[in-house]
Amino acid sequence: MLLADFGTSYCKLLDTELNEKARILPTRDLTQEFMADLATGHNAKRRSRQSINELTALARGGKRLINKPDFVLLDCGSRDIKYVRYLNHGVADMGWNAECGASMGFTIELLSKYYDIDYASVPVPDTGFSITCGVLGMSNIFDAVVSGISETEAVAKFVRGIARNAWRFAGAPDKLYLSGGLCTNPLFTGSFPCEIIPLGRFVLLEGLKQHLETDCRHM
Amino acid sequence: MQMNRKIGIVGIPPLKTIQAIHDSRDTIIDLDEPQLQLPIDLTAKHLPRVYCAILRTVVLNSMHLQLDHIYIDVGPGKCDCALHVSRILSDTLGVAITTTRNQDMDDFGTPICTSSLPLMDKLLRITKGVQSPVPSDPQDSCKPTAGFWGVPPRDFSILSLFPDTTHVYGWTRCMENKTPANLQLETYCNPEIPTVFFAQSFCAKTALAKHLADLHPRALYLDCDVTAGSSARAKIEAFLELSGVQPQGTFYAAG
Repeated sequence: MLLADFGTSYCKLLDTELNEKARILPTRDLTQEFMADLATGHNAKRRSRQSINELTALARGGKRLINKPDFVLLDCGSRDIKYVRYLNHGVADMGWNAECGASMGFTIELLSKYYDIDYASVPVPDTGFSITCGVLGMSNIFDAVVSGISETEAVAKFVRGIARNAWRFAGAPDKLYLSGGLCTNPLFTGSFPCEIIPLGRFVLLEGLKQHLETDCRHM
Repeated sequence: MQMNRKIGIVGIPPLKTIQAIHDSRDTIIDLDEPQLQLPIDLTAKHLPRVYCAILRTVVLNSMHLQLDHIYIDVGPGKCDCALHVSRILSDTLGVAITTTRNQDMDDFGTPICTSSLPLMDKLLRITKGVQSPVPSDPQDSCKPTAGFWGVPPRDFSILSLFPDTTHVYGWTRCMENKTPANLQLETYCNPEIPTVFFAQSFCAKTALAKHLADLHPRALYLDCDVTAGSSARAKIEAFLELSGVQPQGTFYAAG
């Protein structure tokens, strides 16, 4: 059974019949004919035989990995952010921001290439920009650079602003589980004003595995 | 003998106004609903683009329907924006405008809201019922498994995701009851069932929807503009599914 999380920039794939780890593939490298058995993500309906909602996959994957009655899980993708909040083992709240939280992950990656910045070597700034989305936030960087701040510091302030915006979107929790490729970006994870527990990029795949097991139990 | 006239209504004018239009055998057109297949951006010369989609629809309809008269409710049962739009229509379209302030408090009942009709049918009947001076026909009530709180959305497609056992709350319930200014009824909801608190983007009711959603133990706050995007539909679907309610839609159907 081939499981796929079709992200905007990267696809996460897992063949449950092979004894191998999940793999990551740039979305642009997928062949036209590529088809998964069960998938989630923005291209899932077109590229799979069965698809499930991204928020459902996130919630089920988070529950499977975290296994606690109460938690908040935030997924930061290339073009959107989404969260689920569990309370007493049940989903109490959720959100999916594809508009005002748009293009955050994509913009962070774009900026590192454009300015040749290694985020692992950039300290978390004390202050940041007030940012609601990647696209609108870009002008803050250009304004800051014009005013004399270094490009690296300006980008760091931008990343901090993005992280703070995502944290507020998730309800400003004291402890936040994080999903997505930005889990490995220390500048991003260090910019949250709360405890961060990174879960990595395969939370939605875990949700697909959970869906499979639940489906099998019902058959 | 007077010709049959085309009368536009916005919001829910008082019962006596609706009754008078009926007595005159004029035709009522609900300007809150899309009546024309025209781009909503045609309203940009009269309204900002970032504005309530319902009132943009009102202006679009009013611009193109050759109406004889418009009754706009601008009281506590509608909104300040409707008051402003009434002035804009009056200044720009040359149509006779009458503003009303509906404060009717006689309960007409809410049988459709608690019925097992598909949610889309419920809202179609309720919005159609605004044009009638009589109560809704009786319906068998059902045990609710989900709730829809709010105003009738500009894009009814989101309603297709809900199960038939969805009860209706909020201003839509006030519409069926013919008491649009009854805030107590508008704020009523059932804490026992997962409920979507919906408001149109840029509508003042977004504050009430968010507040009530915060108070409700199993709630999803949702706002949409002109059309419901895929993330709005996915939020509803996931919320219902994760609340143990099987959604009805086909947005993420098995392929």
